[in-house]
Amino acid sequence: MTFDPATLALFVLLAAPSAAAVLSLVPFAGVSQAVSRVASILAVAAAVGLLSGLVTSRWGAYLGLDPVSEIFLFMVTGIYATSVWYSRRYLQGVHRPFLTPQVYYALLSAFAFAMIAVLVVTDLGLMWIGVEATTVASALLIVLERKPASVEAAWRYTLIASAGLTIALFALLILYTATGTLNGFRLAADPPPLSLPIEMAVALALVGYGTKVGLFPMHSWLPDAHSEAPSPVSAMFSGVLLPTALYAFLRVYRVLPSPAPALLTDLVLAFGIATALVAAFLLQRQRSFKRLFAYSSMEVMGLAVIGIAVGGIALYGALVLIVAHAFAKSAAFYCSGDVLRATGTTRIDEVRNLGRRMPWTSGVWILSSAAVTGAPPFGTFVGELLIVVGALAIGLVWVAGVVVVAILVAFLGVNSQIGSMIFGEPRSAAESGSKLPDDGWGIAGLNVAFALVLGVAAVPYLAAGLRAAASLLGGTHP
Amino acid sequence: MDTTAEIIALIGVGILLTALYLQSESFVDPLIRGIALQSLLLAGLLGWLAWTERSIDLAILAGLAVAVRALFIPYVLRRQIRAFRWRVREIHAAHRVTGHALAAVALAVVAWFIFQQTLATVFPQPGAALPFILLVEGLLMLATRSNTIVQVIGYLEEENAVVYAGALFAQQFPLFVEVVVFLDVLGVVLVGVILSIQRDVTGTPEEAALEELAG
Repeated sequence: MTFDPATLALFVLLAAPSAAAVLSLVPFAGVSQAVSRVASILAVAAAVGLLSGLVTSRWGAYLGLDPVSEIFLFMVTGIYATSVWYSRRYLQGVHRPFLTPQVYYALLSAFAFAMIAVLVVTDLGLMWIGVEATTVASALLIVLERKPASVEAAWRYTLIASAGLTIALFALLILYTATGTLNGFRLAADPPPLSLPIEMAVALALVGYGTKVGLFPMHSWLPDAHSEAPSPVSAMFSGVLLPTALYAFLRVYRVLPSPAPALLTDLVLAFGIATALVAAFLLQRQRSFKRLFAYSSMEVMGLAVIGIAVGGIALYGALVLIVAHAFAKSAAFYCSGDVLRATGTTRIDEVRNLGRRMPWTSGVWILSSAAVTGAPPFGTFVGELLIVVGALAIGLVWVAGVVVVAILVAFLGVNSQIGSMIFGEPRSAAESGSKLPDDGWGIAGLNVAFALVLGVAAVPYLAAGLRAAASLLGGTHP
Repeated sequence: MDTTAEIIALIGVGILLTALYLQSESFVDPLIRGIALQSLLLAGLLGWLAWTERSIDLAILAGLAVAVRALFIPYVLRRQIRAFRWRVREIHAAHRVTGHALAAVALAVVAWFIFQQTLATVFPQPGAALPFILLVEGLLMLATRSNTIVQVIGYLEEENAVVYAGALFAQQFPLFVEVVVFLDVLGVVLVGVILSIQRDVTGTPEEAALEELAG
């Protein structure tokens, strides 16, 4: 790659979070937070710069960019930045943290760096290392609050995600043996002739990376890790880690010539449908509001996978859904963190009358809750609508029906439970009485506002980027 | 059959037998010894291939297999057992061991069949199905066992499967050594860090129920 603004942006994207990860360890108060904030802003600026330039597709032996990676980079850096800024407030409320603030910020930046690395490398082997590195960087963040359940969640996350990724590595071994290269961009530009080993590699990659995406039945790490992690980390898990793993699968999936073999498309569709339906029904019986949002993320990933399998306009819908969901879900988790801090519990049945006690936070929380479940006019609604339209357009009426059922069930489940906490009548003096701290909703409000804007207006550069990404992946756009 | 092919086949059978043995054992200490033996067998295979093909990469992989998966991780795991006697046996697993063993054999046959139907054309080497079978056996262990240490052993078996596959039919796989080093680091992080945190936070006999993951 030649040295130009895009190369500079790429350098900043990789250098800023990695430098922050190192500099955060400097043992002076406030340094870790300051460098992480600066790094996150630089990373966002670089990602926006790339998006505004809209590199069509360029790659070298190791690094590469195209509209798909640019969209995901924008999303990852955006949530990284808001999580870094929100962390200060959250960390203040953690008693006896397992990690010092220095180590916390270092791991948060390392986590972001690993995700960014996944998005800018061309070699599928390096991409695999990046996805596995996200596990290493984020596992210890889960145990920040030193709870037995957190340790259990970290353990399960590391073990199940790594086991899944070992399958993905096996898939890459097969792919390399069958094609002689692992350059994902090159393979996508000039797909190899279809053969059983390549189909097997894609199927194994679906299972392997699908474990990290949270696809049913490999999802069992997801609700635990998302609910036990500190809220800024939960936001990164739900908002961008799952899509990053999906991106890694997309790169392998693109190796298939177009149109993809029906058997594999059906397999992807089956995983998507099973995930969306199982998550939508499982979230009905959750007692913790963080687990509720974790299952909601799983449902959204299922819908996105359905969009990828259906293709056409549904693929564009899946991309819109992923981006809007990232911002909306992070807002939901930031609000969850504030509610947890204020009430001391994550149990849904122990929180009532929040609307009067934390009016601003409650307002943003109910909006983000509506946004993550695809309520109009948020971007998630547009994405989900396009997935349904895409399925109907190619005659998959039953798929459209299943998607609608999953969306409605999840919508009712999430919003009724969040609504019961906000609008539910107080059952004790404590619940009806004092006001709770209500000044931390700003960052969450910003993110949910962005999810709203995505639904009602064509965001400059981003809208064009989404259309270009959909076209590149073989889809269509409005 | 030449000497190398005979050695590959012989060690392959040994690795398969250790995989089936691991499925049929509920006591943790023999399981740790079993995975150490499997790693040693794999290291022997890697060492032989490194010698015959004059490959530094394979020699490094052989060294890593011995140092990390045959010696270091088993050593740490056995220390865990000495420190926490209640971890010596799976609490809820004993009655399922026969079922595990039968499932393991059945799964090995199914995995072999799938391999022959899909991958045998690009991997015609004798015994090429064995890494695939080993991968599936490792997954079975992870999915069905509840003891923390046994799950680590399942993970190590998966890692052995990938190294085995790489050595047999993907020696030119880019960054293979680096990937295996990375997996080893992850294994050490898993064992060293999380188990020690677990000891710090939950490591009492009263917490045994928490220890037994549902999967």
